[in-house]
Amino acid sequence: MAADLHLFGIRHHGPGSARRLVEALEDLAPVSVLIEGPADASDLLPMLADPQMRPPVALLAYPADTPSQAVFWPFAVFSPEYQAACWAVRRGAALRFIDLPVAWRLPQPTEAEADADADSAPTPDPAPAPLHRDPIGELARLAGYEDGESWWRDVIEENPSPGPVFAAVADAMAALRDDTPPPDRLEAAREAHMRLEIAKERKATAGPVAVVCGAWHVPALTAKHTATDDRALIKGAPARKIAATWAPWTAPRLAFASGYGAGVTAPGWCRHLWETPAGQTTTRWLGRIARALRAEGQVVSTAGLIEAERLARALSAIRGRPQPGFEELRDAAIACLCFGQPAQWQLIARPLLLGAEVGAIPDAVPIAPLLQDLQRQQRAARLKPEALERELSLDLRSDSGLFRSTLLHRLAALDVHWGRPVDPGRSRGTFRERWVLQWQPEHAVALVENLVYGATIEQAVAGRLEAGMQRATVLGALVELVFAAMTAQLAVAARTGIALLGDRAAQTSDCAEMLDALPPLADVLRYGRARATDTGQLGDLFRRIAVQGALALPYAARGLDADASAALRTTMQAADAAIHLAEADGDTLAQWQRSLQAVVADAQASLLVAGAAARLLYDAERMTAEQAVALLGRMLSPGMPAADAAGFFAGFFEGSGDRLLHDDALRGCVDAWLCGLDGEAFTEYLPLFRRVFTGLDRMQRRRLLDAALGRDAGGLPGLVPAPDADALWARHFERLKGILAPGGSGD
Amino acid sequence: MTEALRLPAEAVYTADLAALKAADDRPKPAGWALSPQAVVTYLMGGRTADGVEIGAKYVGDRRLIETAVATLATDRALLLLGVPGTAKSWVSEHLAAAISGDSTLVIQCTAGTDENQIRYGWNYAQLLAHGPSREALVPTPLFRAMDGGHLCRLEELTRMGSDVQDTLITVLSEKMLPIPELNQAVYATRGFNVIATANDRDKGVNELSAALKRRFNVVVLPLPDDMDQEIAIVTKRVGEMAVSLDLPAPKNVGEEVRRLLAIFRELRGGETLDGKIALKTPSGSLSTAEAIAVTVGGLSHAAYFGDGDLSADGLAPNLVGAIVKDPVQDKAVLAEYLETVLKQRRDFADYYRAFSDLV
Repeated sequence: MAADLHLFGIRHHGPGSARRLVEALEDLAPVSVLIEGPADASDLLPMLADPQMRPPVALLAYPADTPSQAVFWPFAVFSPEYQAACWAVRRGAALRFIDLPVAWRLPQPTEAEADADADSAPTPDPAPAPLHRDPIGELARLAGYEDGESWWRDVIEENPSPGPVFAAVADAMAALRDDTPPPDRLEAAREAHMRLEIAKERKATAGPVAVVCGAWHVPALTAKHTATDDRALIKGAPARKIAATWAPWTAPRLAFASGYGAGVTAPGWCRHLWETPAGQTTTRWLGRIARALRAEGQVVSTAGLIEAERLARALSAIRGRPQPGFEELRDAAIACLCFGQPAQWQLIARPLLLGAEVGAIPDAVPIAPLLQDLQRQQRAARLKPEALERELSLDLRSDSGLFRSTLLHRLAALDVHWGRPVDPGRSRGTFRERWVLQWQPEHAVALVENLVYGATIEQAVAGRLEAGMQRATVLGALVELVFAAMTAQLAVAARTGIALLGDRAAQTSDCAEMLDALPPLADVLRYGRARATDTGQLGDLFRRIAVQGALALPYAARGLDADASAALRTTMQAADAAIHLAEADGDTLAQWQRSLQAVVADAQASLLVAGAAARLLYDAERMTAEQAVALLGRMLSPGMPAADAAGFFAGFFEGSGDRLLHDDALRGCVDAWLCGLDGEAFTEYLPLFRRVFTGLDRMQRRRLLDAALGRDAGGLPGLVPAPDADALWARHFERLKGILAPGGSGD
Repeated sequence: MTEALRLPAEAVYTADLAALKAADDRPKPAGWALSPQAVVTYLMGGRTADGVEIGAKYVGDRRLIETAVATLATDRALLLLGVPGTAKSWVSEHLAAAISGDSTLVIQCTAGTDENQIRYGWNYAQLLAHGPSREALVPTPLFRAMDGGHLCRLEELTRMGSDVQDTLITVLSEKMLPIPELNQAVYATRGFNVIATANDRDKGVNELSAALKRRFNVVVLPLPDDMDQEIAIVTKRVGEMAVSLDLPAPKNVGEEVRRLLAIFRELRGGETLDGKIALKTPSGSLSTAEAIAVTVGGLSHAAYFGDGDLSADGLAPNLVGAIVKDPVQDKAVLAEYLETVLKQRRDFADYYRAFSDLV
């Protein structure tokens, strides 16, 4: 004899459904609860009720050999499925998943799944048609609602003639399904599998059986089908070894916008609806808005909240709705609390609507897929985790070298510093990398913490880098993250970063920040080739940032104090080197040099910066020797205050005094200026002169001195040739020839 | 045919209002001529229950108008904010016409507006002859709106001095206007409310005090979203102005307006129209009204100094004037735009050249 069957068609992640479902389960007290979810993961289901399990969490299933094809089933505290599972465990009812096993959901090997998407956000389902994905939400949209929950409340729960909610939903779905084409193969197989499982359960138990499934499936599960037909539909199940576990999830990733096909628009709003006692939804939601606005530094008065609530009620009356919903509250909050500025609302919308909670999972859950993935990759890379330090040299041109290097870079990006690069920095330019490897137990812990970003190392790195990019505020930091994504061979994350970089670059008006971004960008452009990364887009970006930085430079150089001038000079010199290193095109270079000229010509520019700019132009041969002499002569002329002249002098010569050795005309200018200084000023600038000439070795200093004193610089003054020099030199020459000749002992 | 140059909205659209009123069976707030739903239909256009077609008075987001009407249906005052040329006064006039049937109770706020023009004045002859009395009072539009339960419109609220603005606080929160000289007060009849307009670009004119601001619900009217719609508005207005200024309208107006608005919209929106490059925005508002002014300036240049066609050379100086309001910051923004965007575009080469000469 078959047990009593009750079908509960719910809205995935619908708090309204969840509340009604718990009430219905209390009334019915079924002995068995069946939930739409992969049947082969049923043994994990009771863990949901574990006190240590804190939603949002996701059921994570993946083929044991390729975790990158992981499939997720997220559960939030307001998901009806979660509430049903908790209820069943609490009441000791049998609890099972009844949907097709995981293997069906995986991309079949024959279907060529584009590899390019592999490191993007995990896509749980091939996105189904909107009507099918969220039929209730779609009905709501047709009725002019932006939020399915408000519609559910207004139409289903606040229906003036209340009836059994789930029967009403089933009727609506039956009507909807009558007008849509029959389900595709996968969906038909899913429904067949669920029907078979339900029939099996009804045979096995005596008490009522409750089935919790998406509203869309209810009509199909009650329809008459013979067991034989159903079995035919689920023939040919793909056979793959599947591993499943729980993973912590985050609230923002419950949102549809995050790429989760069955997500909701605003998880934060859903959670609010679930947590708030009925009747206080409006007031408490406005209270949350007020708190968020106050946290942003806005003044929000209690009177304003009262007015906002009144306006929301008036709006819902005008729109013919029984009570204020999501949109009314938003419009009212913008008009009353944000002074009509939608931008202010946008400021708080994201944290408010998406939430920021991160789930937690009990310690007892099966081993995390990230560790499994690491073990697999370690085997593939033939690298054993060892507690003792070991050095490793990699050649990036070989496949195995690149693979190992990529693995180590990815782990480093996850804060798992198994490998430590020796000689970091410029080594990125070569095809060779050297690492020191040492495995620490805490690395496993650090790795598992990244589970929230993805199930494989590749996905986790991509997720983490992209999250970091979203947070990065300074261009330089963003460039570093893009470079990290490139070295970790994550094309999608790198593209995201580059797009963000473009936006940020446009927004910033700080010249130093733009110029600071150039050296790392130039490194990427110049050396990215060692890793076969596509740098085309970055090239455009480099040109744009360079041009923007160049345009801002003349203004930035004005009115700076000593510290700021020194900082800008360093930045400008590094940017100049970067522009030359990246072999920027003629236009960009010309613009940059025009800006340098503008700095030199600008009377208000800091003289240290102007001096350095003049030097850069002189080195680039954009300023002739005569012009340089004239400029230096003018800047160091007696009419110039000594402090200003010293600034210009420092900018031009500091760190590279050897110019003075070879350039008689420049030396003449400097000489004249130095001789014109009075004793006090000279003592004051002595440290400056020491800095300028510190780069010279003893011989150079002597030559400079001789030149300045007008002695003959041709020979080696001060040295007297040895008496037997001729004979000595002949012997020396013979020996040198022996050494230099091919096959000699030279190395 | 009337002698008046322009009639108030309720006189021009009598037919619409009558049709809506005839078909209106929804509850009306006290003192309202139409139900809130009918008011929204009047502004946004649509069909009455009897099937009469109502033309749209405002083209834009329906939600904004709904919020505005809902605000007036509560007893909160409405403040319409927006850059110049976003139909604030137009919306305010039509709201008053639809709700009170009278849009003529207007106070134009200026720097010279004093309290007597907001509250009430005195007829000094009466005052001297008979002493203070209600007969000696000269009511203002606000006074009359309170007395009769109508909407009062305050145009350009922020142009009025802050101390004068604060006169409104008691009126807005307690709905009464004390007349201390007579030891009396005017209590607002149901249906009274205030619609104020202000533009949020004129920083530093007279900021609204926080106390007053909090008594208003604010609706910001945005610039047009749709480029074709904006091109149509500009071309139409430029045509009208050209006629009234006796300027010949060249053939290429439509095409030049398209290029001009492309520049306007890119700088105003902070990104190129294809969404590929983000840009900085200048401090000016770059509203539709300014695009009209720039084009008319270009027309005048074309008629008197050019060959009769609109050209980049004629438009560029006006355009620079519209964009560069802050000599340092905006100039940098424009230079950046020229070098990173316009330079790459072959069809804007003449603008690039004309701008480069000017900047």
